[in-house]
Amino acid sequence: MLLDFHKLGAWRWVLTAICAVMSLFLLLPILFIVALSFGNSRWLIFPPPGWTLKWYEELFADPRWIGAALTSAKIGVIVMVISVVLGLLASLALVRGTFRGRAVLRAFFLTPMVLPVVIVAVALYAAFLRLGLNGTLPGFVIAHVIVALPFAIITITGALETFDPAIEDAAILCGASPWEARLRVTLPGIRHGLFSAAIFSFLISWDEVVLAIFMASPTLQTLPVKVWTTLRQDLTPVIAAASTLLVALTVLLMIAAAVLRKGKSE
Amino acid sequence: MFSAATRRGSGLGFAMSAILLLAAFFVIPVVFLLTRSVTEPQLGLQNYAALVGSTTYAKVFFNTFLVAGVVTLVTVLIAFPVAWALAIMPGRWASVVFAIILLSMWTNLLARTYAWMVLLQQTGLINRMLKAIGLIDQPLQLTNNLIGVTIGMVYIMLPFMILPLMGVIKKIDPAILQAAALCGATKWQALTRVLVPLAAPGIASGALMVFVMSLGYYVTPSLLGGTANMMLAELIAQQVQSLVNWGMGGAAAFLLLLVTLGLYAVQLRFFEPKEGR
Repeated sequence: MLLDFHKLGAWRWVLTAICAVMSLFLLLPILFIVALSFGNSRWLIFPPPGWTLKWYEELFADPRWIGAALTSAKIGVIVMVISVVLGLLASLALVRGTFRGRAVLRAFFLTPMVLPVVIVAVALYAAFLRLGLNGTLPGFVIAHVIVALPFAIITITGALETFDPAIEDAAILCGASPWEARLRVTLPGIRHGLFSAAIFSFLISWDEVVLAIFMASPTLQTLPVKVWTTLRQDLTPVIAAASTLLVALTVLLMIAAAVLRKGKSE
Repeated sequence: MFSAATRRGSGLGFAMSAILLLAAFFVIPVVFLLTRSVTEPQLGLQNYAALVGSTTYAKVFFNTFLVAGVVTLVTVLIAFPVAWALAIMPGRWASVVFAIILLSMWTNLLARTYAWMVLLQQTGLINRMLKAIGLIDQPLQLTNNLIGVTIGMVYIMLPFMILPLMGVIKKIDPAILQAAALCGATKWQALTRVLVPLAAPGIASGALMVFVMSLGYYVTPSLLGGTANMMLAELIAQQVQSLVNWGMGGAAAFLLLLVTLGLYAVQLRFFEPKEGR
């Protein structure tokens, strides 16, 4: 009874109402930010007395915001490539390997995901102080690859597990070398997994703030760090404009991921 | 015929690059940080003694566990009916709610926290609405305290509770609940004695995950809580960044690590579905 929506009776409306309220709770703050970014009140009065694009103009006129966004994009792309390549290699080992201790190795690969990021951040900060990597591009990239890799590995092992190794074997029997078989048969077969892993890895790096706060220097910072330092000073609507652009990017990437999933199921 | 193993090697070599990267930039730095907790400023347990002995730090621990506990409780109470509804709703509506949950989950953490900082401030929308409907005369202090942190954290943790719980409820056989109804159970009885107990492993494992994540959270507590209401992750960052006290930072990090891993061990031991191998 309770698991049949149409036989719930009055409870159906209670559940629907809770769902609706929760959806509004999740959605409204995001819409609120979008509305504020177009509102002309510096003090973030809602509803705004009028509409304007000046916060976006301020955002795009400030080279520090643009610089931070470009740095974030650059780091995100490099992290994406490294994380997918290392993730693919690690997944091949985990799924197709025959060595002992694969379960332990898998758990090891996922630890950076379960540990509080602040511990990883402080530990890396100390290591980078010695290596001189704080405030450098490689420093950011290494830090972000550490936290993006587990997600890439989960996604790619998932794809590999559903891809029948017999197909790869067939290619080898037909005369392909093992590497040829991997590159020309297995890779195309799991491309949806690779694309999702790439999107995840990019987004994780693009949105990551705790590690970035520790890695940042006055001359090199990512977009989240710029938002963070600005937020600690005041709640200017420029952040609403920046946040809106971030939300827009998220929606685009989510649609891309959904299209990928659809393509996979067809 | 040659076997797959001899043709491809054992495959461990493929994982080497990832293993080396994690060893160099994850394992060694973390171990090193934890070591400093007993070697700086001199060899001994003085940092742990200070952490346990002082009322300032006791307050940080109290704040951390209080917020994590309340956030977990509220999240479970909201997430259960939502997950239940999502598991059985007509597909079209379920996918709308599902899309909203994913959107919220993937929206930049700082953007979401900023939204709550603006909404909850003294002149913010929440206070003005409460005033307009006559519930309050003076604006409530909702930021720079643990109330703000709790609201912001529940907002962030909800998807992490709803999504796994939905999976658990979907796997429950509706026939069991039909049986309960046939045996004369009222809806309330069927809920409290059949559905909730069947979903309990999912609830417990989700709650544990939310609790652990909340314990180590840094961004939202520091933006919505202010410096007077510090939580554990902020303490670690402050010790290292502002006070350059690596021994103390390492000790606090070790305690957080211990609690985190301990709770995950409980999770793996009791709630992880056994694989049928």
